[in-house]
Amino acid sequence: MTKPRVAIFDFACCEGCQLQIVNLEEEILNLIELVDVVEWREAMSEQSHEYDIAIIEGSITRDEDVKRLEVIRSRAKVLIALGSCATSGGVNRMKNSFDLNEVRTCVYGRDGAMPHLNTRLTQACHEVVAVDYKIYGCPIDNAEFAQILRALLVGKKPFIPDYPVCVECKARETVCRYEYDEICMGPIVRAGCGAPCPSVGWRCFGCRGLVDNPNVQAAQEVMDKYRLTVDDLKQKMVLFNTK
Amino acid sequence: MSVSTVSKEQFRSFVAALIGSEQTVVGVQAKNDKFAFGPLRRAEDLRLDYDVTILSPRKYLLPPKETLLNFQVAGDSQTVCDCQPMVLIGVHPYDMAAISQMDELFSQGEYDTHYMNRRQAITIIACDVATASANVFASSMNTATVDSGFDILLTDIGGAYVVQADTDKGRALVKKMAGAKPAGADDMAKRKAVQEKNRTGLNKHVLECKPAFLPKLLEKTYDHPVWEDKARLCYSCGSCNQVCPTCYCFDVQDEVNWDLKTGSRCRVWDGCLLENFATVAGNHNFRKNRSARFRHRLYRKGKYVPSKIGGQIACVGCGRCVSACTAKIANPVDVYNTLLENTEIG
Amino acid sequence: MCECCNGKKDIYRPQLWTINKHRMLNGTEMYLHLDPDSGKAFDYIPGQFVEVSLAGIGEAPISISSSPTQKGLELVVRNVGGLTKAIHKLKAGDKLGIRGPYGSTYPVSQAKGKDLVFICGGIGLVPQLSFIRYAMDHRADYGSITVLIGTKCHDMRLFREEIALWSERKDITIIETIDEAHDCWDGNVGVVTTLIPRVESDLPASQVLVCGPPIMYKFVLMALAEAGVPEENIYVNLERRMKCGVGKCGHCQINDKYVCQDGPVFRWSDLALVPEAI
Ligand SMILES: Cc1cc2nc3c(=O)[nH]c(=O)nc-3n(C[C@H](O)[C@H](O)[C@H](O)COP(=O)(O)OP(=O)(O)OC[C@H]3O[C@@H](n4cnc5c(N)ncnc54)[C@H](O)[C@@H]3O)c2cc1C
Ligand code: SF4
Ligand code: SF4
Ligand code: SF4
Ligand code: SF4
Ligand code: SF4
Ligand code: FES
Repeated sequence: MTKPRVAIFDFACCEGCQLQIVNLEEEILNLIELVDVVEWREAMSEQSHEYDIAIIEGSITRDEDVKRLEVIRSRAKVLIALGSCATSGGVNRMKNSFDLNEVRTCVYGRDGAMPHLNTRLTQACHEVVAVDYKIYGCPIDNAEFAQILRALLVGKKPFIPDYPVCVECKARETVCRYEYDEICMGPIVRAGCGAPCPSVGWRCFGCRGLVDNPNVQAAQEVMDKYRLTVDDLKQKMVLFNTK
Repeated sequence: MSVSTVSKEQFRSFVAALIGSEQTVVGVQAKNDKFAFGPLRRAEDLRLDYDVTILSPRKYLLPPKETLLNFQVAGDSQTVCDCQPMVLIGVHPYDMAAISQMDELFSQGEYDTHYMNRRQAITIIACDVATASANVFASSMNTATVDSGFDILLTDIGGAYVVQADTDKGRALVKKMAGAKPAGADDMAKRKAVQEKNRTGLNKHVLECKPAFLPKLLEKTYDHPVWEDKARLCYSCGSCNQVCPTCYCFDVQDEVNWDLKTGSRCRVWDGCLLENFATVAGNHNFRKNRSARFRHRLYRKGKYVPSKIGGQIACVGCGRCVSACTAKIANPVDVYNTLLENTEIG
Repeated sequence: MCECCNGKKDIYRPQLWTINKHRMLNGTEMYLHLDPDSGKAFDYIPGQFVEVSLAGIGEAPISISSSPTQKGLELVVRNVGGLTKAIHKLKAGDKLGIRGPYGSTYPVSQAKGKDLVFICGGIGLVPQLSFIRYAMDHRADYGSITVLIGTKCHDMRLFREEIALWSERKDITIIETIDEAHDCWDGNVGVVTTLIPRVESDLPASQVLVCGPPIMYKFVLMALAEAGVPEENIYVNLERRMKCGVGKCGHCQINDKYVCQDGPVFRWSDLALVPEAI
């Protein structure tokens, strides 16, 4: 039996998610035994080749990216968006709140006018092509990545939670941030990370994006109860476009 | 029933010896400024003066994630039986009541060997409440004290514990408590005072009716506005389910190992407040509205589960959901009292 | 099983059965016929279901569509998600895990001597088939048998050969309809409720058995009420999410009823006042 071909492509991102995959250490050896990992340059040059699983890291910020992603989609049986950059636009999307020319000048100074630094509004993968699965998080949780990949390889629909972080946070018996009168995004953010942040005393700031049907109305009223302002929350959320 | 008295020092030595034995010893310990059940490494970490633990001891009877079977992918499966002997120290009466309810639910009808085997391997050392927590209302639910289910019941009477052993397992343990002597009338009186005090004193929220009346009340309140009023703020976060000692709903998931040939079938905690708890194929959700899910939990506690366990109310008044709900809407007493206020009961 | 189980069986462990026949009934529904590897089949009564699992993929409740008068176990699986998709890839000789049978039954004995009217919407025909076949195999025990079948479009129709054979018989009446008209279909067009006035047996005195998608019940029950059928004579076969099948996991509840144990077949008079039912 030929091994499934898996290709990983990076777009605009910090490659932190790929690093998470590398951090699987011993498990990565298991993974490599099961699949043929196709390096992206190679994958793109062999015109005829298809990939069983294409993994997209990063967000779409340039016109060239759109074309490249469309080609990948046309050759991939399953396309996975990996990490917040790919699933929601991630940190890169912050620039959408500013004038693009200003962004270019701000980031690159005078070089900002050079054509390869041409930029457009940041998009998530699913805003450009059809995405089969999204692996959330900034960075992704590698145990979840491994679980999803194994599920796909065995021919099963992966389990991707659509309930809030609180479920996992409570299960590991973390003292809730609200007990200290702090706001935490946990009640409206998608679980799957295992709630690491509250467990070390940070609030969840929503890196995995919102659950499908968040009760935002409640979030606002509840914050009032805790004497916090909507702006506090907005500031938290803008980083990951969870608003 | 045999009742003895043991000094706190002597009890600590007993716990230290237990920790040295081959059984797993789990007890209540501090976790930041709260408390939690966890494996005891040192006898002095045991905190029987605790108010309430974040999660209930259910996590040892029905773990958040438990392997039911190991399997060959697309093939046969083998039962995984987890029956490691364990001593659970410091179970409060309301949690004991909750465990007894689960014992009944998992053994009635189709007998659940996974739960029951684990249960039988656990020795429970319960203890009367020494400090009331911020939201406890066990007095309202008749669960502030307990007279069955445990192997041993401890009561802190100042410098010593009164130790009541109710089972062979319990009596065998008490035999190992060096220095334990039959409890005198004086100690028994002190114990009675502690229990009497708790029977009325663990009541931060006061239910305005007898708990036994709740099933009857709930017959009339299905369309009451309170469900919508409260659930408007519900995040569907399931925190109220997760922390509850009497919630036992679960999901079942298959996990595959890296060889892609073997794996395990696990059961994991689920919660009826979560949005897709009742969703089936075609994305049809039988409990689509937040209010319907919010109502389901309080009906389950006050009516549905009681009908399966001889009328015992499945809220034991631990108050955990009251603290855990970030929207501050989960308090059962609040809801039941609102229903009582404006419902005519014939 | 280990020592501490004291000979008690693990209610979650499936037994292996082997697929010996399978075929697609239409674009989405697959017929499977299974025999137990242990050689020991179980007794069941029409209306019951089994938990079907493919280790590594998952488990789901599936109605038994065969009748106890037949050999082996027949299931029909619609491809809707993770597990069912994987089942559709199986071949003869492959194995499935089976637990059960679970749940309540059709009133096979109480209905004796009475007219039977089956109202089936889409895949709702599947569980009903068990009782229809059973009644056909004990033909003398029952009065007239009428089967109303509504299907979305003509190419989704299930068990066409068996139904065609029945259509030729005098001792059973089959009336079919499809939701949307089509060139290849010269039969009735319209939803299944439109067939109810065409039932010739004395409807109020008949035992009426209903199974279909969630949306169907409301309309069928309204039509039956109009036709004067008492609630005691109506049986509905309901679907809910299920994870255990044995009354533990809490997923299948309709208020205080457990569909895996009190159902899936309910006498409508026991459910009419239960708010979450329909
Ligand atoms: C008593 C009974 C009898 C039945 N008989 C039959 C039968 O004879 N034939 C038949 O084909 N079917 C039958 N069904 C239905 C069958 O059980 C379901 O179609 C099956 O469970 C689908 O499983 P799956 O793994 O393929 O789908 P899943 O992958 O589980 O998904 C199916 C759908 O369920 C929903 N879903 C599942 N899990 C989640 C989740 N975590 N979050 C949100 N949504 C979720 C989604 O909408 C999804 O599209 C019966 C059901 C019952 C209760
Ligand atoms: S999602 Fe976060 S960690 Fe992953 S690539 Fe983007 S910025 Fe880096
Ligand atoms: S700390 Fe945050 S994620 Fe955890 S339970 Fe509290 S609100 Fe939820
Ligand atoms: S707890 Fe929140 S911020 Fe932390 S990893 Fe999870 S989703 Fe991201
Ligand atoms: S409903 Fe709330 S107070 Fe009652 S037992 Fe559960 S967690 Fe405790
Ligand atoms: S804890 Fe509160 S907000 Fe969360 S599901 Fe329960 S009632 Fe709703
Ligand atoms: S399916 Fe688990 S309780 Fe009915």
